[in-house]
Amino acid sequence: MESLFSAGLRIQRRVISALMIRELATRFGRENIGFLWVVAEPLLFASLVGVIWRLTKGAEEHGVGIISFVASGYIPLVLFRSAVSRSVGLFSANGSLMYHRQIKIADFVLVRFLLEMISHMAAYIIIGLVLFAFGEFPVPADIGLFLGGWGIYAFFTLSLCFVLAPLSEMSSVLEKLVPVTVYLMIPFSGTFTMLSWLTPSIQEAMVWSPPAMAMEMMRGGLYGDDVVVFYSVGIPLAMSMVLLLLGLAMCRRVRRTLVVE
Amino acid sequence: MIVCAGVRKSYPMGHGQREIIRGVDLVIRPGERFGILGRNGAGKTTLIKLIGGVEMPTSGSIHRHMSVSWPLGFGGGFQGSLTGYDNARFIARIYGREYRELRDFVEDFSELGRQLSMPVKTYSSGMKARLAFALSLAIEFDCYLIDEIILVGDQNFQRKCHTELFEKRADRALVLASHNPGTILEYCNRAMVLDGGHATVYSDVEEALRIYNDL
Repeated sequence: MESLFSAGLRIQRRVISALMIRELATRFGRENIGFLWVVAEPLLFASLVGVIWRLTKGAEEHGVGIISFVASGYIPLVLFRSAVSRSVGLFSANGSLMYHRQIKIADFVLVRFLLEMISHMAAYIIIGLVLFAFGEFPVPADIGLFLGGWGIYAFFTLSLCFVLAPLSEMSSVLEKLVPVTVYLMIPFSGTFTMLSWLTPSIQEAMVWSPPAMAMEMMRGGLYGDDVVVFYSVGIPLAMSMVLLLLGLAMCRRVRRTLVVE
Repeated sequence: MIVCAGVRKSYPMGHGQREIIRGVDLVIRPGERFGILGRNGAGKTTLIKLIGGVEMPTSGSIHRHMSVSWPLGFGGGFQGSLTGYDNARFIARIYGREYRELRDFVEDFSELGRQLSMPVKTYSSGMKARLAFALSLAIEFDCYLIDEIILVGDQNFQRKCHTELFEKRADRALVLASHNPGTILEYCNRAMVLDGGHATVYSDVEEALRIYNDL
């Protein structure tokens, strides 16, 4: 006799994979070139910004190649931006699936995020290889640190999605605020800056920005000794964990009042 | 068995709350054919959604000790942008069924033909109901929740529904919501009248119908 837990796990796996396939079919399938854009947009952005910076500032910024620096910052930011904006109104949009009890609303958040993460990781690899072929991307000096940074970045993004998805059902103001907030956080995300370029007081404050910490780790892993990095692993992890727990509790609460057509 | 205890449901309305279901206690046993009677807006669909777990009660509890279908109605349960086949594939996956068998049954039962490869949002409500019916029959539940749609489609389709649901699956439980007394009288052996959020259960369907007609 199968235990309740393993039966639950089996159903969960089934649901997650079915939702992933469904999402793939609606997003990337059939007529559009969805996935291609995930790769093309950061590639285009990194190249254009790289070209402009190169013309105005020269080939290197603080000793690292500009194009790879922009690309390595921008791809995680695109992941963050699209995961966050896609989690707004997620439950209402998927309301028809609430007819099937084995699907829990947390599954929607997880599936959307996983898909974003996988496609952006694939985009990262493709962009990295293309730029490497042109001599514009380094071989990661410390792949472990790089992946650790990517992992923390992704975990923070997921945790935030878990909070935003239920919050957007509680208040429609959020829908308008999210894009602005994402833009405003760019200076604090480490996307286009490294901590070592900043003043000590700002460096200290940046410890409280999980994306900035994760980005430092990724840059450290990418450029190795060419850059000086300052980061904490514990603070961003703890902050993400708190967000995640808060988000799960909010999902539970929102589910009770969710009106399904 | 499905056990509802002290179930209440309210929806936000303006600045306040409007209570649609005001305390329903109900036990549905295996094999029972249970009718829910009520005028438009009495809360039949809401109650069916609560029993099916689509929405959660504001207070009270609902326990399901048998497999219960999703509410079969004119909408819901499908992704409009996906085709009938895609939806069938999705449902086969989440319920852990073999897609081929499900597809064969759906093709045969729904008689939707080539329409099955069109997005579900292009279906008429009757066609959606056929698809929902076909899928839920293919999955085999202990209890079917049916919201008004028993009389959908032409004679031929109705006959098929009758054979599949009332002859081949005569041992299954059924919860049927309708404002049509004839439907309830024909199919149910116990009934409830919903009025102003209050529910009264009658073991005699004819008595329930008498009360309902006097509302």
